[in-house]
Amino acid sequence: MERTDIRNFCIIAHIDHGKSTLADRLLELTGTVSAREMTEQVLDAMDLERERGVTIKASAVRMNYTTQNGHGYEINLIDTPGHVDFSYEVSRALQACEGAVLVVDATQGIEAQTLANLFLALDADLEIIPVVNKIDLPAARPDEVAEEIEELLGIDAADVIQISAKTGVNVEAVLEAVVERVPPPKGDVTLPLRALVFDSHYDSYKGVIAYVRVVEGVLDMSEPLLMMATGAIAEPIEIGIFSPNMKPSGRLEAGEVGYVATGLKTVRDARVGDTITVRSRAAAEALPGYVAVKPMVFAGLYPTENEDYDLLRDALDKLQLNDASLVFEPETSQALNFGFRCGFLGLFHMDIIQERLEREYDLDIIATAPSVEYEIEMRNTGEVRVIDSPAQLPDEAEIEEIREPWMRIQIFTPTDYIGPIMDLVTKRRGEYVSTEYLDPRRVMLNYTIPLAELIVDFYDRLKSISRGYASLDYHFEGYRTGNLAKLDILINHQPVDALALIVHQDAAYHKGQALVSKLKEAIPRQQFEVPIQAAMGKKVISRANVKALRKDVLAKCYGGDITRKRKLLEKQKKGKKRMKMVGQVELPQEAFMTLLKLDEG
Amino acid sequence: MLPVSLYLHIPFCKSRCSYCDFNTYAGLDHLTEDYIAALGREIELAGRGIEGEKPHAHTLYLGGGTPSLLTPQQVELLIAASRRHFDLPAGAEISIEANPGTVDLDKLRRLREMGVNRLSLGVQSAQAADLKLFGRIHSFEEAIDAFKLARRAGYENISIDLIYGAPGQTLPGWRDTLKRILDWQPEHISLYSLSIEEGTPLEAQIEQGTVDVPDPDLAADMYDQAREALSKAGLQQYELSNWARSGRECRHNRQYWLNESYLGFGAGAYGTFDGLRYWNVGPVGEYIERIRQTKESRFPPSPAAEGSETVNHKMAMTETMILGLRLTGEGVYKERFARRFGRTVDQVFGDVITRLVEQELLADDGQSVRLTERAYLISNRVFVHFVEDGSLTA
Ligand SMILES: Nc1nc2c(ncn2[C@@H]2O[C@H](COP(=O)(O)OP(=O)(O)OP(=O)(O)O)[C@@H](O)[C@H]2O)c(=O)[nH]1
Ligand code: SF4
Ligand SMILES: [Mg+2]
Repeated sequence: MERTDIRNFCIIAHIDHGKSTLADRLLELTGTVSAREMTEQVLDAMDLERERGVTIKASAVRMNYTTQNGHGYEINLIDTPGHVDFSYEVSRALQACEGAVLVVDATQGIEAQTLANLFLALDADLEIIPVVNKIDLPAARPDEVAEEIEELLGIDAADVIQISAKTGVNVEAVLEAVVERVPPPKGDVTLPLRALVFDSHYDSYKGVIAYVRVVEGVLDMSEPLLMMATGAIAEPIEIGIFSPNMKPSGRLEAGEVGYVATGLKTVRDARVGDTITVRSRAAAEALPGYVAVKPMVFAGLYPTENEDYDLLRDALDKLQLNDASLVFEPETSQALNFGFRCGFLGLFHMDIIQERLEREYDLDIIATAPSVEYEIEMRNTGEVRVIDSPAQLPDEAEIEEIREPWMRIQIFTPTDYIGPIMDLVTKRRGEYVSTEYLDPRRVMLNYTIPLAELIVDFYDRLKSISRGYASLDYHFEGYRTGNLAKLDILINHQPVDALALIVHQDAAYHKGQALVSKLKEAIPRQQFEVPIQAAMGKKVISRANVKALRKDVLAKCYGGDITRKRKLLEKQKKGKKRMKMVGQVELPQEAFMTLLKLDEG
Repeated sequence: MLPVSLYLHIPFCKSRCSYCDFNTYAGLDHLTEDYIAALGREIELAGRGIEGEKPHAHTLYLGGGTPSLLTPQQVELLIAASRRHFDLPAGAEISIEANPGTVDLDKLRRLREMGVNRLSLGVQSAQAADLKLFGRIHSFEEAIDAFKLARRAGYENISIDLIYGAPGQTLPGWRDTLKRILDWQPEHISLYSLSIEEGTPLEAQIEQGTVDVPDPDLAADMYDQAREALSKAGLQQYELSNWARSGRECRHNRQYWLNESYLGFGAGAYGTFDGLRYWNVGPVGEYIERIRQTKESRFPPSPAAEGSETVNHKMAMTETMILGLRLTGEGVYKERFARRFGRTVDQVFGDVITRLVEQELLADDGQSVRLTERAYLISNRVFVHFVEDGSLTA
């Protein structure tokens, strides 16, 4: 294939605007996936993606397309996730493309990640093809949305392609536009190989499979490869394309997208963002690569059963192979024993990881409430410590000041919900920056807000007060000093490290109370009365008691039905195993998550 | 080894009580005749199917359902079959469960004459409101009559069943019930804590909100007060739910708690014999059919068994603990345990016992292990330590 006949593009959009559905239609149209194999959002291969109807991982696929005027093209498509937690996936995918199809839902218009992802694409110098989707819906306002796009991009609204990815209307126009407007990849086949690793996954037989975009030269099986950043050497086991399943081709040339099975056993040897070259004829310089993603949210993950610690570590290792954004290190807790402090891109990411651990690795885990990274300046030494868990907070007397991360946020919303949104943000210590009108009915609100406030249920609240209409994007702004202190929770007079919280002084009293009453509900009655207290320093600010359990007996069973009795007890025992013993008290998993739900009611 | 016990299940009731999830049916009276024939036949098949000598039996229990709905002839047939196929000596304990409103003097007398020597009367409460909620077919006045008739008929061993911890029950009402029952001076009392079972009308009512959720703390108070009242009246607690005058402990039920062999006959009955536990099919018609189709069969299991499991050593030891600890007076005798299993209680459960003794839930005097009084109402918290966790079997 001539390089001029290759097109590489990705599909970007706000969450749920129909990227994966559009990809379905394109795969169908090009005959890449037969009607028999076709399912909805066929590229969302993970069980979790299918169940939640959400793309988590970007996926690449090669299609062959013959245009209306009879010319054949090789087109590489990358479907990307829309959720803000995964925007780093988008930015990586962009590096493998020359063009981006920007999908906008005709009923929703431009939303937070529409803009955020668009800016990423523009930064990467991509040709943008705007598309308005879901025109089949009664509530669609395709022309208005096209005009919004015109204003945003300076593209004539008439050139915005209006489609329905669901029914297939006008989808072919998207392919024609890709061929026409997206430039073919540049890059010299004769130069030494440079291939960018934009994603990877781990296969137990073939080792790390690197998803690559060959920028220059030729990638084939003939010679050992060198990972330029890590220095690791790999004998290629298989080279191929995504069609959409992996299909060996033996060779990839400059401009092409595909994979190479490296046989490498750890993802650390073949990192996303690295450049692959040929060892014997190495390129002089690596490709720019990516800025490493920084986790924003931290939480402890502990096996419910202590003996599962090794299994949890193995599982995290494996997940990290496919998800470089996940970081973890061992952590011990008095309450929960041995586990891992994990860093996530956001709460959704945390949720996904937790669910994958439970489902794909069959582990029962307890997650502590998420925390952010604080900077602690020490009083005497002036030393600055970075902590990501309230348990690590030094003694109050030693602290000069505590600094916490603040975020810039953009909220896109119909004007109707400005009031309640302002209330929400203010309650969460947010500070107003500006309002921009997108049109008379929709605005973009800019605020700054502590990240700690954002991760406790903010997004759900925003969605609920705006009936789902508001969307949110955020970026790290910087650290600021805060009037913060540690809130300890004592159960049966013992502080429980995994329940400690760093809170703003003004909210401490209220939070302490809310937490104590939530815990009282979550903790089942024990054989003795269990006092629960919230304290700041030595001062108890709230308390409640879980009354002693008085009755736990089996019902009468007739005719000596001991089997049933025994099974009931076995079930009870299984339930008990899922509890964590803190001193003499059995705490259920929910107790550790109560911190997340403080705002309800 | 103790002699075996025989249990005969009579799955018929006049109407269904609101809390009851037993294997029993209302409106199947037309099957009674065939059922009794089948039950007699099952006893025969078992007797013939057991290898070796006729087993020695020391208790026979007719439970239900409502066995007192049977005619004297029907009961006689069953007792005769039991005597024919098992070695049931004259001194054996023969109990029958009876509901007020289903007995008269003549029936009681004839049962007594054919050897029934223990009567378990389902009174449940002295409060009209409770009886209504329970959907019982009788009033408290009818219960008084039944008790008096039983005495007249010559029963010197009468047990009364009562239910506590039900929605709407109050402490004063409960005290009143206890007082009235104790006035009768029964030999034995069983107190059952009401549990809301799946699929019962009572559960539905609670879900709809027409009936309150029972309050476990109130139930605990009722239990405590009952223990006090019964003990004052000279009844000794010998099991978590059972009190008796000395020598009147129910031998049949003690057989269960000692985890000794018993043969269960009838629809839905359970039995454990010769290391095998079996449970019979529940529906009456199916049961009759199964028995009819059997010419002969080795026992155990029963030819009407729906399923069975081998009770392995480990399971038997667990069950011996969780059943034996129910016997509040005697507890689990270490010597008996060691004789039966060839290992001592301490070898098998030493760690658990030590921990529970520390928590003051068990008492260990070297001879036997018993529940402490504070463990009576939270006995599950003790038993649970003796079972395997359910991840494999659940
Ligand atoms: N009516 C209609 N529904 C559509 C259309 N395109 C997509 N949808 C629906 O919109 C929902 C989201 O579609 P997806 O394709 O999963 O959206 P996505 O952009 O890939 O979502 P994420 O990957 O989670 O960001 C699904 O329920 C689709 O069936 C369309 O053209 N018309
Ligand atoms: S009489 Fe006894 S067996 Fe029959 S329904 Fe009532 S409680 Fe159940
Ligand atoms: Mg998608």
